[in-house]
Amino acid sequence: MQKAQRLLDLAAFLLRAAEPLSWREIQEQFPDDYAATSGEAAIRKFERDKAELLDLGIPVRYLAGDEDLPAGYVIDKDEFYLPDLRLPPEDLALLYLAGSAALAQGIFPYARDLAHALNKLSFAGRAPGASETAAMASLRLSAGEEPGEGEGEAAEKLERLSRAVAQKKRVHLVYAGAERKDRTERDVDPYGLYQRGGAWFLAGWCHLRRDLRTFHLGRIVSLEVNPAAPRTPDFKLRKDFSLPDLATRETWEYAVHGPMRCRIRLEPPVPPEARGSFGPRARVQEEPGGVATVDLEATNSEALVRHVLSLGDRAEIVAPAALRRRARGILVALARRCA
Amino acid sequence: MSRPPVHKTDARDRLRRVLFLVPYAVRHPGIPAKDLARRCGISERELLDDLDFLMEVGCPPFAPDDFLDLYVEGGRVYVALHQSFSRPPRFTESEAAALAAAAQALGGEGKDRVLRALRESVPRDRRQSFDELVGRIYAGSPPAEDSVLGRLQRAIAERRAVRLRYFTASRSAEGERTVHPWTLAQRFGHWYLYGHDLTRDKALAFRIDRIRECAITDVRFDPPPEAELAAAHLFSRGAPIRIRLGRRAAAWALARPGQLQVVKRTRRGDALVEVEAASEDWATRYALSFGGDAEVVSPPAARRHFSEAVRRALARYR
Repeated sequence: MQKAQRLLDLAAFLLRAAEPLSWREIQEQFPDDYAATSGEAAIRKFERDKAELLDLGIPVRYLAGDEDLPAGYVIDKDEFYLPDLRLPPEDLALLYLAGSAALAQGIFPYARDLAHALNKLSFAGRAPGASETAAMASLRLSAGEEPGEGEGEAAEKLERLSRAVAQKKRVHLVYAGAERKDRTERDVDPYGLYQRGGAWFLAGWCHLRRDLRTFHLGRIVSLEVNPAAPRTPDFKLRKDFSLPDLATRETWEYAVHGPMRCRIRLEPPVPPEARGSFGPRARVQEEPGGVATVDLEATNSEALVRHVLSLGDRAEIVAPAALRRRARGILVALARRCA
Repeated sequence: MSRPPVHKTDARDRLRRVLFLVPYAVRHPGIPAKDLARRCGISERELLDDLDFLMEVGCPPFAPDDFLDLYVEGGRVYVALHQSFSRPPRFTESEAAALAAAAQALGGEGKDRVLRALRESVPRDRRQSFDELVGRIYAGSPPAEDSVLGRLQRAIAERRAVRLRYFTASRSAEGERTVHPWTLAQRFGHWYLYGHDLTRDKALAFRIDRIRECAITDVRFDPPPEAELAAAHLFSRGAPIRIRLGRRAAAWALARPGQLQVVKRTRRGDALVEVEAASEDWATRYALSFGGDAEVVSPPAARRHFSEAVRRALARYR
């Protein structure tokens, strides 16, 4: 019997049973699968099937008998069927919209699971009509006109990394340097995945550098997930690991030079996104006229210059003077090219 | 009919799909086969293959009534026997974690509630794995305060008009808008509210991080016309904007897929790229973010927008 078919048959059998089913009863009904080989091998096969069912969201349990019920295997219906999430409409909208927009990006961890989850959502809430319409629209509006270069390949890489992250399997990377010249090979314990500036990064313990490192998905030339013992983790995460800390690090906070205190002035009316763009560690003070002053510490001042320039003419670097000169220099050169 | 060999991951995918497909068809008796196929993300041909496969699935002792029975009649799908597959199974931890990661990145007042609800919807044995996995995917920081997002989400779900205080970049000014909020969408790394602007009487996109305040009104609106939604774009579609990228800028930018089409790449590594359906404002800021290593080239209006922005920014440094 094909495995997919056997798994569904088994699930249907257990779902219909009024009482726990003994191993003997199961063997009798699946003679070719669980009774044809020796006892040990048959049980191992059954255990693997149970694990696969759990991977599909179907928990099969063994109950020790008592005076009312015989011992055996069950699927508890309450534990099987997706429950109503009992969420207010706005929360359901949050799930629908966030999920659809993420799926539309084409590159998202567990993208296939996300598509399944979005489908199942229609069973998890009452009257999701408006949110479903909005989700369809979000999917279309968020998707690009056509897939970008190498998108399919990147999505496939991310999918494999997602599995490695979940199962804690070590990966072997061939990684290209920033300008694609040098390549290195290394083993990495994949701790987590984060998105920043439209790109996905792997964070993990690098066995080559013996340090926590981040890897740009686009620069991973090839990757191989340790195929041995897929259900046994290869590593434990270090206790001090925090993905949000890594993921919210601003580009000017990368360790390039010593700390430099910088001040930026935002001219009114200050666009809200400009004010919010300096991250949680910047101090923003608003003066009576509406001018806002941002004070922060940079360890990669070049990135700060770029960020301030990208905010347009409502932002300017005030201090230090050298950084102000750098911004001016860039603008002078650009102005010449535009003339 | 001989079945093509089934790849391992395909088999798993099929199982997950049919565990949704059967209950969905139970809930929507007589659903057109093409709608069901689209819903499952497969072709009609593949749907028919799935139905063939399901005909052999059943429950011991495998008497005639013990099999699943789904059939197509007049292009519509009906379920005669569902063999207890009347609702889909609970979320797997990776399904729930993917949804949770997406929800955390959008934000809103409900984001902790949805996280709890998603956790509860995972089989008990897998909740610990879910907790751990949620901490290991970070899909971005929310674009605005939870209260602004919470109100937008509620207004979309209840189809109620919102009043916004909104910062318009092209005019460098804040103004008030009344909008029928249709949906939220994400493009070029930003979140947008898309809806009908009553003052301008047309559908427009509003960057969420430029919404200063949002108030829900009591005015209800009808669902947006399907045809209008199907033809909708976030931005007006003028000529694509071309940007010249220096070697370093090109290496960085082209490693971020999804928005740029390469027109030309020199041997040195410089690139001329094209962006479809982007605003001039976006293109200017994008080019400036490369610190002199990029410039907007065409069309002329976009080039002017860029030069003007450079001139005005330079004036601040006199």
